Amino acid sequence: MHLTRLRLRSFRNYGRLEAEFGPGFHVLLGGNAQGKTNLLEAIYLLATLRSFRGVGGAQMVRHGDKGYFVGGQVLGQGAHAMRMYWSPSERRLSLDGQPVRKLTDYLGTLRAVVFCTEDLQLVKGPGTRRRRFLDLLLAQTDAGYLPLLQRYTRALRSRNLVLKARLVDEALLESFTRDVVGVGTQLTQLRRELVPRFSPLVRLAYRRIAHGAEELRVEYRPSVKQDFAVELAQARGRERTYRTTLVGPHRDELQLLLDDRPAVQYGSEGQKRTLAIALKTAQAEYVGGRHGTPPVLLIDDVMGELDARRRQGLLPLLERAHQASGQVFMTCTEVNWPEELGSRLQRWEVKAGTIEADRLVR
Amino acid sequence: MPMPVLPAPLADLMAALGKLPGIGPRTAERLALHLVQADPSFVRQLATTLTNARDRVQGCATCGALTELQPCALCQDDRRDATLVCVVERAVDVWLLDKAGTYRGRFHVLGGKLSPLNGIEPEDLRIAQLEQRLEREPLREVILALPTDVEGDATSHYLARRLAPRGLKITRLAHGLPAGSGLEFADDLTLSRALEGRQPIA
Repeated sequence: MHLTRLRLRSFRNYGRLEAEFGPGFHVLLGGNAQGKTNLLEAIYLLATLRSFRGVGGAQMVRHGDKGYFVGGQVLGQGAHAMRMYWSPSERRLSLDGQPVRKLTDYLGTLRAVVFCTEDLQLVKGPGTRRRRFLDLLLAQTDAGYLPLLQRYTRALRSRNLVLKARLVDEALLESFTRDVVGVGTQLTQLRRELVPRFSPLVRLAYRRIAHGAEELRVEYRPSVKQDFAVELAQARGRERTYRTTLVGPHRDELQLLLDDRPAVQYGSEGQKRTLAIALKTAQAEYVGGRHGTPPVLLIDDVMGELDARRRQGLLPLLERAHQASGQVFMTCTEVNWPEELGSRLQRWEVKAGTIEADRLVR
Repeated sequence: MPMPVLPAPLADLMAALGKLPGIGPRTAERLALHLVQADPSFVRQLATTLTNARDRVQGCATCGALTELQPCALCQDDRRDATLVCVVERAVDVWLLDKAGTYRGRFHVLGGKLSPLNGIEPEDLRIAQLEQRLEREPLREVILALPTDVEGDATSHYLARRLAPRGLKITRLAHGLPAGSGLEFADDLTLSRALEGRQPIA
């Protein structure tokens, strides 16, 4: 799977961009604030409809313009054209010229995994970050997951509103509890099945990158231990006080342990950084493994943060993406240009919202 | 350069049309421009038709379906099974079910579904009216024909629970595969529901 064409209008610092890409390795070079990361953001947005910088649509509109457009063509199983337009008053999303009615029809057309500085929050941030990571992983590998998650979220929000009423209507509460329990149980089950398949990949990736003696373990700690309905009923007393749903997959945790101790408290900064990259590496491998083709890798300057030895650990993933006619986009400032990646690179010069292909390097 | 000024009545018409469901600013503009240039007699007739329809069509005091008569033709029809009532969300659902032709009982329109996210509570729906009918009419079975989204399902369960003490038969429409199509056209949720609701085949 690879992106063959990218079109931007009024996106971040790009007034207008038309670019064509082949499979393989693309290095985006340029100084700070020239728009390297914006390109990765646009590709990720096309794939997931989210910015990996955690911002909304308004921040991505070019200063002074009304709305942005991002379009792309993907060659995977067949060729597909993806187009999105965002303005404060209008959103349009189309796949192959047809308006998208169900997100599940759209997502999966382009699969991407991003490596960026924000990833550190996977280790250091609150549980929401890790739950969202699990959700993304499942949505990228199981077509049935997203509708379940959407249904759960809606039922949960409804239930929480019922709990917030001055006088809780028990019958009404019960009516929304049914879906929360039914769909929530399925979510827990899918996550429970995922983690044992996924965690060996993280452990291996970590070992490869860190070369350390420490042993990494990834464990799923579901909020629901056995029976959601029973545990929710037991929490009713406390729910009366807190006025919100206290048990359920929205409270799950993905625990990261280094030598059996929580990485967030006991890990060094370097270990945490390595762990974040290991999680993303494993995501790319898992998603690629499930679909038989690697996802597009978007690497935002993380190589710069790693010493040469740790970088080596990441190379197999990049090499594999290369061989399987996958695609990698990587941003670099001239300074930290990674020598070991060799010469089979397409080099692009990014300057003030324009990009230009260099001839094949060296 | 001065902006071309839109005549005020035309702007008002656009604004009014734009409030209709499914009509965006572009369509409102096109319709308004068409109307102000159309044959005056046609526009006058359209206006009369509009007000007439609005004045004469109301919700049936009994079942809530749209009607010109009180009670509506469906409620008055003696040939319909007076022991069955089918509960639907919107007035238009009555026609959908009636058009399908197999259902010959009464109807009851709730006028919405329970939705905390939209501030719709039990008192906002025609549930009390349904309970009054259960007192008054010889109803023996309540068929819940509500949507199967989160709010629709919650409404079904809420009603089932609230009506349970009355000792009526309470049923809901089956979930399953669209008639006449293959498995490939059903999404995962539909398929798993269809599997749960499987039935013995003789």
